[in-house]
Amino acid sequence: MVDLVWFQLLSAILFVIGLYGVMARRSAVLIIMSIELMLNAVNINLIAAASHMEGTGKFSDFDGQLIAIFIITVAAAEVGLALAIILRMFKNRSTVNVDEINLMKW
Amino acid sequence: MEWAWLIPVFSFASALLIVVFGRSLPSKGAFLSILAIALGFAGFWVVLISWMGADTTTSGCFTSENTHLLTCDYERTWFNAGAVGDVGSVSINWGILIDPLTIAVLGLVTFVALMVQIYSLAYMKGDTRFGWYFAIHSLFAAAMLTLVLADNFLLLYVAWELVGICSYLLIGFWHERSSAREAAKKAFIVTRIGDVGLLVGILLIWREVGTFSMLDAFEAVRTGAMSEGVTTVAALLLFLGAMGKSAQMPFHVWLPDAMEGPTPVSALIHAATMVIAGVYLVARAFPLFEAYDADALMVVSVVGLVTAFVAATIALVATDLKRILAYSTISHLGLMMLSLGAFGVTAAVFHMMAHGFSKALLFLGAGSVLHSTEFQETGEMGGLRKVMPITAILFSIGALSLGGIPILAGFWSKDEILIAVNEHHNVAFIVLTLFTAMLSALYMGRAMFLVFFGPLKEQNEHAHESPLPMTLPMLLLGILALGFGLISFNWPGNYGGFGTFIYFLHPHEFHFEIWLGAVSIVLAVASFIAAYLFYVKRSISLDTVRSNFAGILNVVENKYYFDEVYQWTIDRVVLVLSRLIAFFDRAIVNDIIVNGPADVTRKFGIALRLHVTGHVYSYILAMAIGSVGLALFVWWRVA
Repeated sequence: MVDLVWFQLLSAILFVIGLYGVMARRSAVLIIMSIELMLNAVNINLIAAASHMEGTGKFSDFDGQLIAIFIITVAAAEVGLALAIILRMFKNRSTVNVDEINLMKW
Repeated sequence: MEWAWLIPVFSFASALLIVVFGRSLPSKGAFLSILAIALGFAGFWVVLISWMGADTTTSGCFTSENTHLLTCDYERTWFNAGAVGDVGSVSINWGILIDPLTIAVLGLVTFVALMVQIYSLAYMKGDTRFGWYFAIHSLFAAAMLTLVLADNFLLLYVAWELVGICSYLLIGFWHERSSAREAAKKAFIVTRIGDVGLLVGILLIWREVGTFSMLDAFEAVRTGAMSEGVTTVAALLLFLGAMGKSAQMPFHVWLPDAMEGPTPVSALIHAATMVIAGVYLVARAFPLFEAYDADALMVVSVVGLVTAFVAATIALVATDLKRILAYSTISHLGLMMLSLGAFGVTAAVFHMMAHGFSKALLFLGAGSVLHSTEFQETGEMGGLRKVMPITAILFSIGALSLGGIPILAGFWSKDEILIAVNEHHNVAFIVLTLFTAMLSALYMGRAMFLVFFGPLKEQNEHAHESPLPMTLPMLLLGILALGFGLISFNWPGNYGGFGTFIYFLHPHEFHFEIWLGAVSIVLAVASFIAAYLFYVKRSISLDTVRSNFAGILNVVENKYYFDEVYQWTIDRVVLVLSRLIAFFDRAIVNDIIVNGPADVTRKFGIALRLHVTGHVYSYILAMAIGSVGLALFVWWRVA
């Protein structure tokens, strides 16, 4: 069995790539994709931890898996909402570049 | 008598109706106003007759311990502040108080107001604000009657201010003229100075007695519940209000300027009714003034005497007909105050009525002259008896009455004042009073001769007698000016003269001090003859007299520099202080306390908003750094 630490390493790498994507990308669609990446990094972390630590008393009754499924559900809803916002944004301003969306700025 | 409150209500209703429906009513509602005041006059007779038929068994009536007059008091609760009976709760009442003083003034006010309103029908004909004029007239009548009937100080104060605002509106009636606007403001502000005193006095009495009721206040004074100091101070504060309203020195400056209003207004408000409110107040609150050593009354008589004398001298040199009459009014108000100060309530009220009728007559006569010649300066007139004989005769009756020629009303009332002054004050008072009475005859003679006698000027040849609505009220007032003195005698039957109708504590029958009467007759007749020689025959040269008294004359002709002193005070004291306060208000209150915090907040906002870049990645970066920092912090704390 692969050690837990490798899973955590993979999760951390994916999370940081996601974070980099959120900060560096200008396109709202890519930012959302990066956010998805971060969420999935967390999912990997949770599932790995849950399966490795089963029986230690720290995780029980598929807690980790349940939270992972919950995150997937929320992420799906969030993507639906975010894409709708982005579509409206594109329709109104003909761009999805977040730097140009600064209506609320002073 | 319980229904006497209806008397002012008629006029209130008419004022309201004219304001609301005036445009669509025939004659713009003037007839409503006249009808209301005629009802009021009828009401006066009802009150008088039912009072004469009343005794202590009549509901609401009793013999007042404070005046020994049969007094009827009808009171209703207006509202209660706080639960009834609780400590500190106040119950505000309104009610009417009927005693001979009320009845006398009621008669004066309703009659003169009725006469003046009829007169105004013709005088104000064609004025663009004809309806408005009658509306305020009605409101004024209502307020004045409320003032007279009020049985508590609070109601009196309300009415007091209402007559003030009516006076303001009527003085400034022709507000297209800047002088009328200025005069209206002056009248309002100067009387307000006194009104503050009145209000403080009322509150002081309320604090001591716990109610606004006049009768309770008098009772508290009689039983000693109100101490000497408080009573005197309260009386003096009330007198301050009376000084403002009754144009006593040094608050007299507004009355001559008030002549900017239409002449019937001067006749009603600034001669016969509103200005006597001050005298009425002192007479009404006489138990307060008279209490203890009557220190307050000494002040009243001195102020009255000085006012009477100073105003009489100014009236002697004034050239504007209405201003002569205005200064004469001030002088006679002073005489009334002097009489009150000499315990002569009877004499003061009698003179108030005799003067009211005579002076209203004189003003209406002056109005008739102005209406027909359109001049106001006596220098432009002369010989008018040839073109307007009725006015000339009636004006002369008024002038002779005020001048104190026997048989006419003014003679008897002045005589009563002289007797009162003689009984209660020293020789200096009586000498000055006689001198003032002489001046009074002299300036009345002067006005009469300058206007109606001598040669008729060419410019006035087109002048004509006034129409009936103007001459009829003058005629009726003239009859009263002529015969009102009759009520002062003790007639056969149970009427013992005016002194047994209105008195303070002791009724006194009519009596006549031979030497005093003789002196005053001689002075009055001599003054009229002197005036005749001066202004008609011109057998005594005015210029010689003028050059002999040049110094004094200069002071008098400048009205003793009262206006200048006021102007100086306003410019150098009031305005400087006001500017200081205005600066404090603008710089400290407004700029620092109010705008200061707003400014600071705004500047902080401007500085702080710079971090809101609108770039998502910068927020995320901040969030990431924050998270890492937080994680490190937790790790460090736990480890």
